[in-house]
Amino acid sequence: MNFITAFNKEFLEQRRTRKFLIALVVLVLFGMTSPLMAKMTPQIMTMVPGGEAFVGMIPEPTINDAVAQYIKNIIQFGVLLALVFTMGSITIEKDKGTAAMILSKPMPRGSFLLAKFTSLALTFIIAVVIAGVAAYYYTYFLFGQMNILNWITLNGLIVLYILVYIAITLLYSTLTRTQYVAIGLSFGTLIFLGILGSLPGFGINLPDALISNASLLMSGYPVTNWTGLWVSLGIIVVSITTAWLVFRKQEL
Amino acid sequence: MEINPMEIILKYLPLLIPIALLQFGLMIAALVDVIRREKTKGPKWVWIIVVVFINLFGPIVYFIFGRDE
Amino acid sequence: MNSVKIEDLRKKYGNVNALDGLNIQVDSGSVFGFLGPNGAGKTTTLRILAGLAQADSGSIFFGSENTSKSGTDQKARLGYLPEEPAFYGWMSPREYLDYVGKIFKLEAKERQLRVDQLLEKSGLKEAAKRRIAGFSRGMRQRLGIAQALMNHPSLLLLDEPVSALDPAGRKEVLEMIEGLSSECTVIMSSHILADVERVCDTVGIINKGKLITQAKKQDLLDRYAIPALEITTSNGSASLMPEWKLRLEKLPAITGVTVEGYRFHLAVKDVHTSQQEVMQDALHHNVTFEKLEVVKPSLEDIFMQLTGSLK
Ligand SMILES: Nc1ncnc2c1ncn2[C@@H]1O[C@H](COP(=O)(O)OP(=O)(O)OP(=O)(O)O)[C@@H](O)[C@H]1O
Ligand SMILES: [Mg+2]
Repeated sequence: MNFITAFNKEFLEQRRTRKFLIALVVLVLFGMTSPLMAKMTPQIMTMVPGGEAFVGMIPEPTINDAVAQYIKNIIQFGVLLALVFTMGSITIEKDKGTAAMILSKPMPRGSFLLAKFTSLALTFIIAVVIAGVAAYYYTYFLFGQMNILNWITLNGLIVLYILVYIAITLLYSTLTRTQYVAIGLSFGTLIFLGILGSLPGFGINLPDALISNASLLMSGYPVTNWTGLWVSLGIIVVSITTAWLVFRKQEL
Repeated sequence: MEINPMEIILKYLPLLIPIALLQFGLMIAALVDVIRREKTKGPKWVWIIVVVFINLFGPIVYFIFGRDE
Repeated sequence: MNSVKIEDLRKKYGNVNALDGLNIQVDSGSVFGFLGPNGAGKTTTLRILAGLAQADSGSIFFGSENTSKSGTDQKARLGYLPEEPAFYGWMSPREYLDYVGKIFKLEAKERQLRVDQLLEKSGLKEAAKRRIAGFSRGMRQRLGIAQALMNHPSLLLLDEPVSALDPAGRKEVLEMIEGLSSECTVIMSSHILADVERVCDTVGIINKGKLITQAKKQDLLDRYAIPALEITTSNGSASLMPEWKLRLEKLPAITGVTVEGYRFHLAVKDVHTSQQEVMQDALHHNVTFEKLEVVKPSLEDIFMQLTGSLK
């Protein structure tokens, strides 16, 4: 299967060029430091000169603080790395001519494109899974037990959120000529969706709802509206399909 | 209530060690890469300083932007 | 084996007519030399043949099949070397060739054999495990040729295959191309006319996206057998040459003068008259030469004449 061939090459490339290592180390580090920081912040604050006044005023941190830190950090750095790793995936291959060499052979353009998406996806899935395990243990030692099923769901939603931005950036990388335009457009989209989401009542329909749903779940509330999940899956499918339709006709 | 920094560090030491090790490992990986690479974007010695002295972000920035393929 | 027929191919980039109604017929098993000045449309044609660009109109037939119908099938039998082959810098040549072999669905055993064979053939055996990122232009060219041969193509498209190679490498590659003519059809673009003259049996000359002429090389040489003279000047008369050149250009029977070292190459209308004129001029101005001879026309002369680079 040509898809498997292309996928193996892409995943090997990510390991060789250290993208895999970076994603793994960065996310795992934040997985460990997030609960630790949540726990230690009040204690550190009392140590800075003049901080003694706060003793007793800062509420004792809870599991929810640790989870909130984790979500914030993993999303922030996960998405940032996803954009940086994806921005050049098509533009560079077109610009250098490596794509032309491969695509003049019996390698379908769809497989070529899909291999890029799935290999990046795998990198971030592995990184988030290990980060999630590390964070679970740290939280357990510092705060106590969490609901494992909810924790798994939370990490799944985080991965999905990152995949949305990989798919969007892949589309921009196909449409534009340089990687910096591609990442610029991705940041633009990120900000645009952020603004849309702040409209009252509308945010629940956007990928950002994945994150709010995740924290709701962890703090024990039931989640009833999953529109954001379907919209996210839709964005991924539409982005990749559009990228394929455009890429199929592009000159190399 | 008396809290001293050493006490906190000692208390959380088992949790801090893996973090330190990971950061150190990433730094070594980046350092080896800088030294073995024929060409980097910008002078090599600057990257060595960046990688060694800027915690966590030095090696990451090097891996993403410093290498010249 | 595969014959190629290109009919009325057109391609516009903005308002540039890269291809302007190109017609070419390449017979099965021939080595076709594709000539033309810079910007004539050679690379564009080869990219369209390789499926990397689409023509605005016109058709291409491989054998008797129209390409628009058989995309991947055709690609499995194609070998393509672009003008500037590009590779993944983090791979080694062995890894790259192995990857290409996988794309062509070669079995592991066969693939390894073929990779070894091609590394040997392209002279990259020593460098087989080094990263391609550090390769010289010529080494990349060799790897480019190797990857184009992976699937034993029945149609091989080579865009300036020898331009980056050293003299020894050039000779090797040309010999290899010559040897291929029994296995496959080769279309090769080049600016080095001596090379084309040496390995190609058919020549097509294009200019501004149109075919000017296409013929068997020998027919072409016979048909455009414009006579030419060559004067080898005496050593030490170098200082006289520029002045002499001006005078030669003015002689009525001479249509063009080029200088190569101590030699004048004269394109002439008629051998007999021009010989007389040259000798008279030499006598008149008291210049001597070592040799005056009638030479056979080269592809270069024909090319210059047909693409209007000559006066
Ligand atoms: N991608 C492109 N965008 C715009 N113009 C192009 C493009 N590709 C080719 N052209 C134009 O088409 C014409 C033919 O170019 P082509 O590269 O086919 O010439 P060539 O015969 O290969 O020349 P050379 O001998 O210099 O390699 C040129 O005028 C060129 O500027
Ligand atoms: Mg060209």
